[in-house]
Amino acid sequence: MIEVKDIRKRYRRRDVLNGVSFTAAKGEITCLIGVNGAGKSTILKAIMGLTPISGGSIHIDEQSLRPQLYEKIAFVPDHLTMPSGMKLSEAIKFMADFYDSWNNARARELMQFFRLNYSDKIGSLSKGTAAKFNLLLGLGQDSDYLLMDEPFSGIDLFSREAIANVFTSDLIEGRGVLLTTHEIGELEHLIDKAVLLQDGKVSRAFNCEEMRYEEGKSVIDVMREVYRA
Amino acid sequence: MNTSEGSTEVTFNNRDPVYLQVVRHFKERIATGQLSAGQVIPSRRELGALMKINPNTVQKAYKEMEEQQLIITEGNSPSRITNDTELLNQIRSELLGEAVSAFVASVRKIDVPIEELLQLVRSKYQEGGPEHD
Repeated sequence: MIEVKDIRKRYRRRDVLNGVSFTAAKGEITCLIGVNGAGKSTILKAIMGLTPISGGSIHIDEQSLRPQLYEKIAFVPDHLTMPSGMKLSEAIKFMADFYDSWNNARARELMQFFRLNYSDKIGSLSKGTAAKFNLLLGLGQDSDYLLMDEPFSGIDLFSREAIANVFTSDLIEGRGVLLTTHEIGELEHLIDKAVLLQDGKVSRAFNCEEMRYEEGKSVIDVMREVYRA
Repeated sequence: MNTSEGSTEVTFNNRDPVYLQVVRHFKERIATGQLSAGQVIPSRRELGALMKINPNTVQKAYKEMEEQQLIITEGNSPSRITNDTELLNQIRSELLGEAVSAFVASVRKIDVPIEELLQLVRSKYQEGGPEHD
């Protein structure tokens, strides 16, 4: 379980995170929802140790953050970070060299699943294809947890569908997934838990099926309540 | 997958628990004979991928159907529809009963004479045809 407790961050005299607490369990898909600038990406970066926080704590499987833990978590940032002159085959080789947890068989499977070409250059990929390859670099690691920053943002319908299919496949099974989004769209029936952020705090956190069962509300209904109030 | 033709056609609404909508989908397919006694149903993962829903939700739906004894899962073999034909026949009456009760409840507010209502139902039903879904 990823446990985020009361984390705070001040950036340019603004409280970006103002005491954020939530959990993301293994075997579940947890979705951080918030408008642009709500601090979603900052939270993922804080979990990955990529940005300092000014207060609070983050634990993964009850251990505090330390370098070895990052073999357990894969991070898919909101853009491809590989050099544009690299071929996909070279980027995969790079990942294999860099991560002990890299799973080459799975990477090959994903290359097929997303219909990617090994000889293409990173810089020549369309936005949708780049998003797929970006996801491949995260899913290719045998990690217990997977963090994804806006995996559906700004890409075409068919690429979004291909990515959504990953969520119902065995590629995700058993792992804990924490992703961010500003629009729920096709995620409504894919996620287990929704965490709504507002003004640097968690305004609602709920299990989606329980919300439908107990209050008859969809995730979008709750979002309307929170963000239009 | 030939055992689940049409499964992909389900459109879920966002406000009812998805697992209950999955259970209902199975009941409808049983009631209309598309699924029969003893038939093997897709695995949890297969159904999740087909319906594009969370595998945990499918798991919950299968658990619910097991509790209602609609499906049987023995050991590691795939889940099947029960062989209890009496139970399967009940499903049709259950679905019909629910639908009729909902209809009657909403139409009662309009306070229409039953003869007029029945006639309306008859003509609507016939013009809609059997494929109406």
